Amino acid sequence: MVAIETTALTKRFDDVTAVEGLDLQIEDGEIFGFLGPNGAGKSTTINMLLDFHRPTSGSATVLGYDAQEETDAIRQRVGVLPEGLELYKRLTAREHLELCVRMKDAAADPDAVLDRVGLSDDGDRAVGGFSKGMSQRLALGMALIGSPDLIILDEPTSGLDPNGVQEFRELLQAEAESGTTVFFSSHVLSEVEAVCDRVGIMNEGELVALDTIDNLREHAGSGGTVELTVESVPEELSLQQFDGVTDTTIDGTEIRAVCTTTEAKMSVIRRVDTRSTVTGIVVEETSLEDLFNEYTNGEQEVEEGDTKRTPEVIA
Amino acid sequence: MSLAGVVRKDLLDVRRSNLLRGIGLLYLAFTVLFFWGTGSTGNPDMYISLWSMIAIAVLLVPLIALVAAYLSIAGERQSGNLKFLLSYPNSRRDIVVGKLIARSVVVGGAIAFAYVVGLALALYYYPEVVVGDFVAFVGLTLLYTFDYVSIAVGLSAATSTRSRAMGGAIGAWFFLNVFWNAFPINPNTIIEFVAGELGTSVSQNAKDLVWSLSPTGAYMNSMQLVFPDSVARQTGQNQWLDPNAPFYLEGWFMLVILAAWLVVPPLLGYWRFQRADLG
Repeated sequence: MVAIETTALTKRFDDVTAVEGLDLQIEDGEIFGFLGPNGAGKSTTINMLLDFHRPTSGSATVLGYDAQEETDAIRQRVGVLPEGLELYKRLTAREHLELCVRMKDAAADPDAVLDRVGLSDDGDRAVGGFSKGMSQRLALGMALIGSPDLIILDEPTSGLDPNGVQEFRELLQAEAESGTTVFFSSHVLSEVEAVCDRVGIMNEGELVALDTIDNLREHAGSGGTVELTVESVPEELSLQQFDGVTDTTIDGTEIRAVCTTTEAKMSVIRRVDTRSTVTGIVVEETSLEDLFNEYTNGEQEVEEGDTKRTPEVIA
Repeated sequence: MSLAGVVRKDLLDVRRSNLLRGIGLLYLAFTVLFFWGTGSTGNPDMYISLWSMIAIAVLLVPLIALVAAYLSIAGERQSGNLKFLLSYPNSRRDIVVGKLIARSVVVGGAIAFAYVVGLALALYYYPEVVVGDFVAFVGLTLLYTFDYVSIAVGLSAATSTRSRAMGGAIGAWFFLNVFWNAFPINPNTIIEFVAGELGTSVSQNAKDLVWSLSPTGAYMNSMQLVFPDSVARQTGQNQWLDPNAPFYLEGWFMLVILAAWLVVPPLLGYWRFQRADLG
């Protein structure tokens, strides 16, 4: 089954196109990360899925229900943490949860939810006195009420401290293990990298990438670099003849090759190894940050200073 | 079910609002002072007192109702609270109807309470109290109150920000309360002027109808259903006694006008709200 499907979904505000022809399909049970810089159209897309915004053209379904026509059915089955959600300052945390239970006709126990999101001691405090992180945790707890089939979270970790982010990640994974589909947007990439099965990257209203993180790395045109230290640099290496090697530089006894694939890296290592004595190898993988910057800046080149050094193989 | 959720949330939230508590107490204070003041001097008459209460209601009820409800939807829309309600199985219609019910209950409750206290004082001080007519007076005043809650909720549904909702509420108050029924230049003087320019004239009945089309005009003229003829004569409302008055100036037609104000503003507000982009 398909959890979310959008077809040529488009939203224009006066003179700005916020989302342009978005085709997206989220399968049941996956954790999907929806990435992009601020203003890329992530929230607008989510707002259209939840019928906060009406699309200019195109259509969307959520859990098979039409996002415009069958909002009650969707809202009954989906847990939501919308962007810019404000809680009711005069109501307590428990009152918020009780309202959610009532509105969803769910069988959840507010105290159990408070416990789950780490607010068991604050249930009777008015939410107006909560920190950003506490509000966000309460909002997440509210989204989990009624065992939703799908949870949609818009920038869920904003305002959380590192501990909170870690707990949040664990909550998400636990939810996903119980079969819930998770769709969440973020501009903090490390979170996405750690939990998502698949990611989509939005930029300027368009989906510029949609794949697993591994595949994205491979297709992004920058698998990373190989740096080999040799006793003496041989002549006629012709490393650029290999498919997937885009650039080579030699600096003293160091040979550096920019590769798009793992195979290319291996070819470079083998070739150099047969021609010279290799004394050191550093293989760098492109980080998601680099991928992200590539997609969202339209660049296909990675600056050396930006690559995160993650030694893969040390010979 | 979901409508009940919206109403419940709003009641829970609004009853903790100090502003609303304050204006509720203000109305109570006015009512108490009035019945106490009139009751403890001379030989008070219930109808004459109620006649004076109309002026207090016309002055305060629109302000209380508008203040209590003008932010009900626009305020939540601007702050992001609305996304909470709309993330659950609540439709946009549930929001408008739920807010209408909740705010009507809160404001109507405050005003009804003030009159319960007023009635108790009247029963204590006044030589004669016709409870049925007192209750009918309160009923009409509540209908008038709900009209202004409807106007405020309708405006709030139609506007996207707090400041626009406030502008709308002030504009509605001035137009419907001051301009329509109490301003030197009002719809009737304009109609007379235009008719004069065109060389015709407008009948008094037509002008009375125009005057009665605002909630305040309809409310005041609906009082012919409550007050006996002797009081109408005493207060100079001779048109209430005219046996040849057209149907549209009779008491029941005033109820029709009041009912229209109850229904039309929220419908127009919903019509704008249901197609709006929120947040």
